[in-house]
Amino acid sequence: MLRVKDLHKSFGDNEVLKGIDENIEKGEVVCVIGPSGSGKSTFLRCLNLLEEPTSGEVYLDDEKINDPNVDINKVRQRLGMVFQNFNLFPHKTVTENITMAPINVLKMSQADAVKRAHELLEMVGLADKADEYPKSLSGGQQQRVAIARALAMEPEAMLFDEPTSALDPEMVGDVLEVMKNLAAEGMTMVIVTHEMGFAREVADRVVFMDGGYLVEEGTPEEIFDNPKEERVKDFLSKVLNV
Amino acid sequence: MQDYIEGIKIAYSGATTTLLISGVAVVLGLVLGLIVALCRTSNVKVLRGIASVYVDVLRGTPLVVQALILYMGLPMLLQSNGIMFTWDTPVIASIIACGVNSSAYVGEIIRSGLQAIDKGQSEAARSLGMSHGQTMKLVVIPQAVKIIIPALGNEFVTLIKETAILSVISVTDITRASMLWASSTFVYFPAYFGTAFVYLTLTIPLSKIMNYVERRMSTDVKS
Repeated sequence: MLRVKDLHKSFGDNEVLKGIDENIEKGEVVCVIGPSGSGKSTFLRCLNLLEEPTSGEVYLDDEKINDPNVDINKVRQRLGMVFQNFNLFPHKTVTENITMAPINVLKMSQADAVKRAHELLEMVGLADKADEYPKSLSGGQQQRVAIARALAMEPEAMLFDEPTSALDPEMVGDVLEVMKNLAAEGMTMVIVTHEMGFAREVADRVVFMDGGYLVEEGTPEEIFDNPKEERVKDFLSKVLNV
Repeated sequence: MQDYIEGIKIAYSGATTTLLISGVAVVLGLVLGLIVALCRTSNVKVLRGIASVYVDVLRGTPLVVQALILYMGLPMLLQSNGIMFTWDTPVIASIIACGVNSSAYVGEIIRSGLQAIDKGQSEAARSLGMSHGQTMKLVVIPQAVKIIIPALGNEFVTLIKETAILSVISVTDITRASMLWASSTFVYFPAYFGTAFVYLTLTIPLSKIMNYVERRMSTDVKS
């Protein structure tokens, strides 16, 4: 469903992605792991073109989307994204955060959008926060609102960019719980994460990146229990044996 | 005492002119400043370059020199090229000089206000499929306004004071009204005491209003 071919991305002289090939199937949950600076987030941000690839191709279904003739706004409507820092709109209430895009982009009626927002808030366990402003919510609550906001566009796939990295440890569980439920419902998900336990439990496939390359990929069992590449072993021994 | 009251009255006679010039100039500055800010943040390199030179020149030269060039210099330049041109009134030239000068500062105020909004905000909006225009209108500008408005208020207060310099191009504003009266009556202290007093009656209420607006906005939501 999402496919990249020989994806390169440079920032100035710094080449962050050095040729990535990857194919994400519909309904698949893919966790991208690897050390900091390995290009994981950049890879994810290239999938909805928040970063413009320097070269290579990105396909959504069979349409090449890094093409000047493609309406990128239409593409992004189909790919929800959740950020490390939540990026809720601080001048809008929780409900308004969720309804903004459906009303303005999908031209949904106010009433329908609000109804949908309340259903989504129910789903992420925050029905009582509908009229609060983001600043009065905890990090974990803000991130769950951010997930609801992305889901309000009824995306075909969800991209998560280290969704729990900015959270206090006791907040992480609630967010992961919402993501697990989403995965169980069959949502296609690409998740950049440092939560190895979560990756092992939820992922259909784990992708290990380092130094701008996709080093190894496989089922969680293959990667976590029996990694082939030295770099993967080395990384896992550091993050798992603490 | 009589002199002091007279001094204030004389200074007040120029207040309309001062307010007219600074009021219209602030609107002109706002419109031009918005264009400057848009150019400064544009993707087009040439526009960024032009706007940057514009800002540097206007901020790097004194307002009084800009006013002299516009009021005294420009007519001469045009006349020597065969175009008959004189200013009907120095007020028009003053408004243009102040407005253009102010636009450089306002442009920077707006630009820094827009750029102060975290990039994640527009990324979040764009990732939901919102266009650049929708993102600016619904997400970036409403937040930037809270930073921009108080700074614009300060700019207006500054402008009111700066117009005093326009007396050199014979605009009968607060300052020049006092100067004329002082030089004919020789009561310098009461005259200029009146000048200062009248400026204060304009700037202090305006500053208070701005403080109020600022407080209102900062108690508003901010993450």
